[in-house]
Amino acid sequence: MTEISEPLYSDLREALRQGLEEETRTATRQALETGADPLELLQNVLVPTLTEVGRQFQAFEVFLPELMAAGDAAKVATQILEAAIVASGRKSASSGTIVLGTVQSDIHDIGKNILGTLLSSHGFKVVDLGRDVAPSKFLEAAETEKADIVALSALMTTTRPATRNTINLFSEIGARSKYKIIVGGGCIDSSWAKEIGADGYAPDAAAAVDLCKSLLEKKAEK
Amino acid sequence: MHANWLPEIVKRSEIGPYMKEADFDRTFSRKVKELVQRYQLKYDPKLLVPTDEEMIDHLYRAAIDLFVDLGVYNQSTERRVIFTREEVEQAIAAAPSKLVLGTGKDAVVEQYRGVESNIPCRMHSGPTGTPCSENYHPLILQSCAQEPLVDCLGHGSIATYMGLSIIPGSPLEILAARSEAASAREAIRMAGRPGMHIEDNAVSLTCAGKMASINQESGLRVTDGLLISQMPEFKTNYDQLSRAAYLQSIGMHIVDLMTPLVGGLGGGAEGTAIVTVASHVLGVICYSASYHFMGHMHLLSSINTDRRGLWVQAMAGQALACNTHLVSVNDLYTASGLGTKELLWEVAAGAMVGAVCGLHQHGVGATAGNEKNHTSGLEARFQAEVAYAALGHGRAEINEWILECLSHYEQSLSNPNLGKPFPEVYNIDSLEPNEKWLDSYQQVRESLKAMKLDMDNAWRNKRHD
Repeated sequence: MTEISEPLYSDLREALRQGLEEETRTATRQALETGADPLELLQNVLVPTLTEVGRQFQAFEVFLPELMAAGDAAKVATQILEAAIVASGRKSASSGTIVLGTVQSDIHDIGKNILGTLLSSHGFKVVDLGRDVAPSKFLEAAETEKADIVALSALMTTTRPATRNTINLFSEIGARSKYKIIVGGGCIDSSWAKEIGADGYAPDAAAAVDLCKSLLEKKAEK
Repeated sequence: MHANWLPEIVKRSEIGPYMKEADFDRTFSRKVKELVQRYQLKYDPKLLVPTDEEMIDHLYRAAIDLFVDLGVYNQSTERRVIFTREEVEQAIAAAPSKLVLGTGKDAVVEQYRGVESNIPCRMHSGPTGTPCSENYHPLILQSCAQEPLVDCLGHGSIATYMGLSIIPGSPLEILAARSEAASAREAIRMAGRPGMHIEDNAVSLTCAGKMASINQESGLRVTDGLLISQMPEFKTNYDQLSRAAYLQSIGMHIVDLMTPLVGGLGGGAEGTAIVTVASHVLGVICYSASYHFMGHMHLLSSINTDRRGLWVQAMAGQALACNTHLVSVNDLYTASGLGTKELLWEVAAGAMVGAVCGLHQHGVGATAGNEKNHTSGLEARFQAEVAYAALGHGRAEINEWILECLSHYEQSLSNPNLGKPFPEVYNIDSLEPNEKWLDSYQQVRESLKAMKLDMDNAWRNKRHD
């Protein structure tokens, strides 16, 4: 890889931190024009910068608008870098595909949206199904997108059983072993996750990113 | 302008500006940030009950600007429902300032209070956002309803119906809604207060479920209320609006539930305060609300007794009290659980803010509403006593007391003492708190008395003013 001047990296980091899409686009293109390796930019600039924004968000040093803006800027950079990676004849840098949604009858989606932003910024392909998602829709999307992980979110005790119903449907049609299914949200805890046979539970969005990484690492080892 | 806005709202929902929800969220965030800067709103973690009249007034103006500029997002049509400034001002002016809640000898008047008002707060109690098991739910409700200082009963959610998970939209939701409503009716009868106002049926998540809870004999009556929710931030849908249509047509109280998220789309405390005030406007225009539950909460921990949560309550309460005559109620969510002293300190802080900033009282959502059966009548009694004791005191004095309260629980917020559920802090036959829970209550009470809060006599002196 060509040696890239640190100011160029700093510009990109700063644009990402501040969620400035145009500046991010410019800094990413400039870095590539100067000979930067797109994969290295992704792994050594984008991911650490967004990880830091995620940490600040968990510590309440920044808030959801800043997280969303950084996530949007990261999407701009990722698109450019992905295209450059593919153009160079290499495989896509995606860390894995995650189908994400809030379970049936649950209309709360802010937590799920936060997770989607963090996952995208960590290089995952995120297929966000939105809120009030029927079990069959999760299954259909998992099959169509060839998902690695299906992430179910539920906020209310009254909608929590839908996480079980969704997992049961995957089992009933014999697709359970093809996907890792994780659960989270206000009304979920580790004992519920265990009871319904989920592959993992995370108490917050940052932990869910770590969980996804860990599950996919284990999958790769196999 | 008409008293019933719904036909106009449906019309505007169908022809208003189309916008994807994600774009609305981003536009909303940018607008709030701009308003925080334009109106120079500034959160100060040491001044939780601000007295800066200009900033309080600016907050109100920012909220009206936000509402008029963006409108309400209807998720059903993916369109913005826009109102003019004149329409907003007229609707606020026409909103109720005094309500009769309940019926017969148990009816109470709940009215606009104002900043540093001497009018006592009404106390709404019950399992606030807290799930209950079927066996303890009726006992928990009765423990709240039997408290003399409790004026209205909220009846929370049962977690199951005949042991089965309640699937929203299924017959089980209807059956659970009717069963839960019957429990609330029975609880107030058992407490000797059959006309007490019941504020909601929380197990139902759909319009059909809410409607199923209404039954003159054994369910909710028109003198009771039902919640209509706003989705954070600034969002409604046809299911919620349909509830308003039905409740308005039968003359039942409409309770506007908002949950602006501190750290969410509105950003920090300043932005969330703007959103909270503006959400009241949404409740006035879209829902024709009788009264409002100010249920803002921390995005990550779902509580509102931390510094930012208290500041938002203080600022939004004052902005509304200084510029409108709306009836609004705080909605306390604590990190700590039942039976703990930390819970009571959290409640004391939240209750004092509400009392001095124009609000009525509602609580307590212990353990942020996460743990089952974490509600009893004792913390409601305590909240009401604190609210009475705070009357007649100025905001500066209250601010000092709140900082003192915080020193007793703030350190534990990240790892709260979850305490014990109802059957472990109450005798489930006599429905009296056990000695340990009473001892915690007495200890915190004594500490508050040492701070010059008149916990013994304030309610006696003010109750019948």
